[in-house]
Amino acid sequence: MEDLIELAMNYAGSLGAEYAEARFQRDIQETVILKNGFPEAAVLEEKKGISIRVLVDGALGFASTDSLTRRDVKAASSRAFKMARASARIMHEKVSMDDSSLGNVKMEVKQRIGFDSVDIESKTSLLKEAYKRAVEEAAERNVKVPACSMTIDTWMTEKLVASSDGAYVYSLIPRAAFSMLMTAFHPQKGSAQRFFDLGGSGGWEIVERWSLPSLIEKEAETLSEILLSAGKSPSGKTDVILGPELVGLICHESSGHPSEADRILGREAAQAGETYLKKDSIGLRVGSRLVNVVDDPTLDGSFGFYLYDDEGVKARKRMLIKEGVINEFLHNRETASVFGVKSNGSARASAFDREPIVRMANTYLEPGDYSVEELLEDVKEGVYIRSFMEWNIDDRRFNQRYVGLEAYRISKGEIKERIRNPVLEVTTIGLWSSVDAVGRDLEFQAAYCGKGDPLQGIPVWVGGPHVRLRGVILGG
Amino acid sequence: MKKDEAASYIVDLALRRGATDAVANIHDRQHIMIRFSNNEVTISKFYDELTVDIFLMIKRRRAATTIPFSSTRSLEKTVERLIKIARMTPPSELYAPLPEGPFSYDPKLLRGSKVSLNPDKLVGYVEEAINAALKEGAKKVAGTLNAFVERTVLATSGNVYASQERGALDISVRAFTSDISSGHFVSISGDEDEFNPSEAGRIAGEIAAAASNPKLGEPGRFTALLGPLVFADLISQVGILSSAFLVDIGQSFLVDKVGSQVACEKLSLIDDPTVAGSYGARAFDDEGVPTRRNVIIERGVLKRYLHNSMTAKKYGVETTGNAGLISPHPWNLIVEPGEKSFEDLLAEIDRGIYVTNDWYLRYQNYRTGDFSTIPRDGIFLIRDGSIESSVRELRISDNMLRILRNIRDLSRTRRWIKWWEVDVPTLTPYAVIEDLNFTKSTM
Repeated sequence: MEDLIELAMNYAGSLGAEYAEARFQRDIQETVILKNGFPEAAVLEEKKGISIRVLVDGALGFASTDSLTRRDVKAASSRAFKMARASARIMHEKVSMDDSSLGNVKMEVKQRIGFDSVDIESKTSLLKEAYKRAVEEAAERNVKVPACSMTIDTWMTEKLVASSDGAYVYSLIPRAAFSMLMTAFHPQKGSAQRFFDLGGSGGWEIVERWSLPSLIEKEAETLSEILLSAGKSPSGKTDVILGPELVGLICHESSGHPSEADRILGREAAQAGETYLKKDSIGLRVGSRLVNVVDDPTLDGSFGFYLYDDEGVKARKRMLIKEGVINEFLHNRETASVFGVKSNGSARASAFDREPIVRMANTYLEPGDYSVEELLEDVKEGVYIRSFMEWNIDDRRFNQRYVGLEAYRISKGEIKERIRNPVLEVTTIGLWSSVDAVGRDLEFQAAYCGKGDPLQGIPVWVGGPHVRLRGVILGG
Repeated sequence: MKKDEAASYIVDLALRRGATDAVANIHDRQHIMIRFSNNEVTISKFYDELTVDIFLMIKRRRAATTIPFSSTRSLEKTVERLIKIARMTPPSELYAPLPEGPFSYDPKLLRGSKVSLNPDKLVGYVEEAINAALKEGAKKVAGTLNAFVERTVLATSGNVYASQERGALDISVRAFTSDISSGHFVSISGDEDEFNPSEAGRIAGEIAAAASNPKLGEPGRFTALLGPLVFADLISQVGILSSAFLVDIGQSFLVDKVGSQVACEKLSLIDDPTVAGSYGARAFDDEGVPTRRNVIIERGVLKRYLHNSMTAKKYGVETTGNAGLISPHPWNLIVEPGEKSFEDLLAEIDRGIYVTNDWYLRYQNYRTGDFSTIPRDGIFLIRDGSIESSVRELRISDNMLRILRNIRDLSRTRRWIKWWEVDVPTLTPYAVIEDLNFTKSTM
């Protein structure tokens, strides 16, 4: 493969490219689906090929091919060159790459239990057991589970990234993921639904740690109880305690995305949108002093794990919000060059035929000092939201809505009865400014972040501790 | 091995190795995407891909794969591996043999229109769109242009061997007059002669100019005039969630609704990939079944779900030619037009809101249809039949079935819509919705 990568870069150089970057990527994925207790087709997918990205007269061109022959790789280089040259005529600001130091390494995430050692029958049996226990758990409460889809994905991502200015990074990262959509139904109470993802990097041991049958049984119990007993949510001004699932989502949506430098430059304006932050927003206060949001690709076992990004830059922890103040943006080499900083290793591509763009990895709120009991004890009347279904945020990442699923009323420091669908519809600054206490726990949840055009879904973790919001207005 | 021979070879091999049914679908696709922002191209991309989808069944045991098309030996190894996996896979709920051909297809749908992949010509389209938006007063313009040609060769164990060509163009243009004032529009076409990037740019620019200096909107229930981008987003949800697979897993508000009045009588929704020259036109589905015009909603009544042979067997009906080997899906959605002009619809609204675009639609509960989505770009207050002012920062928080029932009117003018938010090509009018719920941030 190395020779094809070299060929791609050298040929682009011989055509006149100022910069060339070639990437071989192979993603081999196996998916097992259980639909309402029955297996669907087992699905294997292999995507592999080479992409080449070039700079010509300050314009970026990209081409990919899944044909790994010398002729077709050269043709891809030539196409990337032609695409860039054609675009150069409506370029005003020339693109350049920053002078970050670039890696020359090989890295591999080892699997303790290899995916090959677990056959499809075993995976299906695991899901069937989880489904059976969920149905039985719901039935004990006279609740039905009329629909439930569960999926286990295992995949290997192998990459070789090289650039004309010296990057040479090989990586092999296995990942496993689970997702579920469950519907609980009761003739008098209607329906409630729960969707969530789990994921991590490593081998089958990740899946074993999830203890899926017990976990899904518990989810069925909770969903049934929500359906049967959750009452009307209070609205108006109140204190709210958010669980890690929601805190992680909020970090991702209202801190991670606005910090993407390509959004700040308007690159995503017609798709996922822009951001309320500007190039000069470093130092802007957006939350209370307790708010520290980071994005860290280097977390062992994380779903968004990588050590070098897809431009060959070493990954590191990024402090996006420090003590409530915007501290750092997420950069690739292109945006870093515009901002006059160094890339912090945020370039990721979801497949061989996608160009690297600025992405998050594992975004979370850093823990504070409080136990969950301490967070609760100072709340006279309030709401505790543990999980969610509906959410969205505007394309400037400023107005967002989260609708709780598992939620409770709090009275005099104690968790009381379940409530249904509390709505938190607030601005980014309004939300982060209301944080008055941060828990010392820390949990992560997997997600697939969507960005780019064509859409690039990439694995990420989102996470955080419990937090307390003081005096927020519920209802939207 | 040549591409045209490979599909049948794979199917024959799978049958020889013990499959009861097999499909091989070879896709040869060239695709150019040009992305632009701040009035300039940010990256131009060329994708050249040749892949093969293989699906096989050993009665109720099923396996599927997508791999790059490569050597004969590699394809053979893949088939053998897939057979092994299918044998190990526990049996599915039921077995439905693949539909038995041979079928005859509409020749007009088998031949794709000619679409140029000349980079200079395509960059020229981008220039046209940007200049048209700037002429209307936009300060900066962003978007995406796509052009593709593809050839599909399909063989199945149901005596199907067929190939079709497709080609299409689309452009999505977002124009800004300020950080908080923008407009968006698109042009999509399966026929290069009808592709109109200038018009997309012009309309985006017009909306952005009209949306200047927006004030914060107020929440409440309003009569809403939804532009084609918004109504396409909502109505494509109806089309997508009419997939019998999604109904089966509870990911649809159409569960148990066939035969029921789910919408106002003025709404009829059809999935029609048989319109030659349209963006989503195609001759056959992934099982080789000829596509057909499927009425999903007729005068407000849900007539059917969309099926492949597997879901059709489960529901005791015939396939609708919408396979997806695992999940059926719509190809080319069409909303029947109303009788009034846009101006007539506007004139009949005393107090309302005109929404020109939306994105980020998420469900609280798929089964009930409770959801919210975020209006973006031009949002306008309507007073006494005229646009009064521009507003911002509102959210549509309502229920899909309620919205469908609250359709008051549809325009006779329709637009084809497809962009980042709306994946299925959809021909849609403007729509007036009674009593639509708008919310906003509380702090």
